[in-house]
Amino acid sequence: MTVSRSARVWGLVAAEAASRGREMSAADACVAAVEAVEVTGAWLSAADGAEMGHLLRVTDEVSEQLAELQLTLGEGPCSDAAAVGGPVLSSDLGDAEAVGCWPVFAPAARQAGAAAVFAFPLRIGAIRAGVMGMYRDRPGSLSDFQLGDALAFADTATMLMLDSADQAEGDRVAGSGPGGQPAELAIHRAEVDQATGMVTEQLGVGIAEAFVRLRAHAYAYDRRLGDLARDIVARRVRLSPDLDVPEDFPV
Amino acid sequence: MDGELLSQTFVELTDTMVAGFDVIDFLHMLTDRSVQLLDVSAAGLLLADPRGELRVVAASSEAARLLELFQLQNDQGPCLDCFRSGKAVHVADLNDTAARWPRFGPAALRAGFAAVQALPMRLREHVVGALNLFRAGPGAFLPEDIRIGQAMADVATIGLLHERSMRRSDSLNEQLQTALNSRVVIEQAKGKLAERLGLDMDQAFKLLRDSARARNLLLSELAQAFVDGTDTLTASRFGQRQPGIAQVPGNRPGAG
Repeated sequence: MTVSRSARVWGLVAAEAASRGREMSAADACVAAVEAVEVTGAWLSAADGAEMGHLLRVTDEVSEQLAELQLTLGEGPCSDAAAVGGPVLSSDLGDAEAVGCWPVFAPAARQAGAAAVFAFPLRIGAIRAGVMGMYRDRPGSLSDFQLGDALAFADTATMLMLDSADQAEGDRVAGSGPGGQPAELAIHRAEVDQATGMVTEQLGVGIAEAFVRLRAHAYAYDRRLGDLARDIVARRVRLSPDLDVPEDFPV
Repeated sequence: MDGELLSQTFVELTDTMVAGFDVIDFLHMLTDRSVQLLDVSAAGLLLADPRGELRVVAASSEAARLLELFQLQNDQGPCLDCFRSGKAVHVADLNDTAARWPRFGPAALRAGFAAVQALPMRLREHVVGALNLFRAGPGAFLPEDIRIGQAMADVATIGLLHERSMRRSDSLNEQLQTALNSRVVIEQAKGKLAERLGLDMDQAFKLLRDSARARNLLLSELAQAFVDGTDTLTASRFGQRQPGIAQVPGNRPGAG
């Protein structure tokens, strides 16, 4: 069930990109999410360290207003989501909790035409890529299924943003497996996270770059990410800053 | 059953559920206490994320083989059965489960466990995860232990929500995702620390946790700062607590 949801969402994002005649990007995840999650609009912001940064995509005017409002006011579900590291789901901007949390943003957002806002940090642990926001023009929660999809779109956007930051390499490698299907997207393994942390020390890079390099290495050596990670954690394999060739790599 | 330890445990658990509550540290303490109280060898708390995947948020040991056993259960095993049915699963002898769980059973036996239990973490009609208990020796679980185990699972669920309203399912989903993301940060921090100091993952975790407690910081926040490079994990020389402040030269009281 897990794999099929990730594959389905990936397919929707790929279809969106294909319909525009371009390579997949995080913006496509934002656009494709609107129809799938059944929201009125969505927007995507890149991260600027721990803060919300610049706007990458909006799907309508209201989305743009909601994104700009939060940047201007310095309050709102997106900045909360970025700070807390988890989604912020406000099913009714008119309720006491929303007004209590965002005394200026909540009424302004409603005036702009939003009744509910859902914010998803684009994160893999300490790796911060940005925030994806969604709104509806009517109050109400996302169903469990819609929430699951929304999170899958957020994960997809995260991976695509990390990959595009590494485009200097020239190859679109790390995000996709054979046939363009998402490799390893659905699998959260402790070893992958641990190996990512280890690689920051081995290569002397930040956590986001460590993750990209880890996945690029797995792809280049045709290994499953989980298997490579297990070898790194067990100290059978080590990434080297010089040649990107691991010591004692079993060939 | 150690009655005094039981009482002490519940006092400790309720003590932690006040201001400055650290949910990740709390869930870890709960798994540690489960091992001590319930005559089991290992314990883990698994939460289901909205994608339907069971993920470990806390375990009594960070040993890779144990974590692997939890992760295996995304395909088959007592936790998956428990999560789907909402009912407890008890297996007195894993040697009898070859047909039921052809991959999980042998893997658990190879890891040195002969009996296993999964207790549901429930919030009204929602099953949010499971408390997974392993024992080295085979044998049925005592009814008293099962009751206490279920109480531990229930306390874990309550702890996840702490001050938030339990009525909004949105709150629960928010808290679950945040806890799951915090776990990832901690895993990344473990890796970085283990590599830097030449430790195993268990040692690295304990160092992070002890440092967070000594400095009165949330474990997840300290892990984040360590991975970001804004905190080098050195405890204040003077034992004073400065929550949230990174160890910047010249910033320590009495320094110079």
